[in-house]
Amino acid sequence: MSLAKDKVGIICCSGEDLPEGTISRVATRLVLEKLRPYETVTLCLPLFLAGGEDERAFARVFPTIAVDGCSKKCAALGTRKFSGKPVATIVVSEILKKYLKSKAKSREKLDAEEMELAMKVAEEIAERVDEVLCKKVSK
Amino acid sequence: MQESQQVSSQSAEAPKVAIVACAGMDKALGSVARTTAFIITEKLRPNSTILICIPPLVADVKPYSELIKRYPVVTIDGCAERCATKIVAKTGAKIRGRVFVPQSAQTHNLKPNTASDIGPEGEKLAEKIAEETALLINKLCER
Repeated sequence: MSLAKDKVGIICCSGEDLPEGTISRVATRLVLEKLRPYETVTLCLPLFLAGGEDERAFARVFPTIAVDGCSKKCAALGTRKFSGKPVATIVVSEILKKYLKSKAKSREKLDAEEMELAMKVAEEIAERVDEVLCKKVSK
Repeated sequence: MQESQQVSSQSAEAPKVAIVACAGMDKALGSVARTTAFIITEKLRPNSTILICIPPLVADVKPYSELIKRYPVVTIDGCAERCATKIVAKTGAKIRGRVFVPQSAQTHNLKPNTASDIGPEGEKLAEKIAEETALLINKLCER
C-alpha cells in the first residue's frame, strides 16, 4: 500500500457566459488528459459550489489552481470561500491579451484557432502545476 | 454579456425563461447539459431565454443574482448530484422545469463519448433535449 502521491486540483470556471469560459474548460481537460495526466485531477465547480463535501475536502488537503475565464474570478472566489486560497489563479482573458491576433469567439465549440489558444492556456496551467509540485518536493 | 441577456434588458416586459445548466467537468452528460443550454439559448429560443452562468450566481454577482429571481427557471442537470437545481433552489428562485440528462439519455438510447468530446450521439442527444425543453419554454412563456 502506498500513500496518495502529490496531486494538484484544477478548478475551472467553465462559465457559459463568455467564450473564455469555454477555453478555460477545454484547457483544463487538455492538462488532465494530455499534459499532466498523472499530476492533476479536476474538481467540478458546480458540485464544489453546491456543497460537494468530497470536492471541498480535497481542496482543503491538496493544492488547487483556479482557472477563470474572466476577471470576475468566480472559481478562485468559490475555492477560497469553501476550502482555502488556491495556490495559483489563471485568468484566461488576461492570457489571451498576449495573443492579440487571435480571439475567442465561440461559447459552444472551439475552432482550430481557438483550440490553439486553449493549448497555450493549458501550457500555462501545466507550468503552474510543475511549480506547485516542485515547491512541495523541496519543502 | 451575451445577446439573449442584452435583449432581456431592452425588453424587460417580454416573457422569458432563465436556463441554468450544470456544465459539469467530470462527466460526458455534464457536457451534454452545457451543449443543450447553448442550443436552446442561441438557436431555438434566443429571444425568450437567458442563460445564467452558475459560478457568478453562487458568487452573488449582479446581474445574475437578480435575473434568476426575475424569471421562471429551467434547470438542466448532468448527473444525480443535481447541482444546478440545488444551487438555484438556494437562491430562492422559482424552478418551473427540471431536465435530467441521464434520464433523457436512457429514453432516447443515446450515449455521449466523453466529457471532452460528446461525439455524434451526444450532439444528437443535446438536440433532442433542447427541442423538448423548447416546448416547455413555450408553455412557460404563455403563462
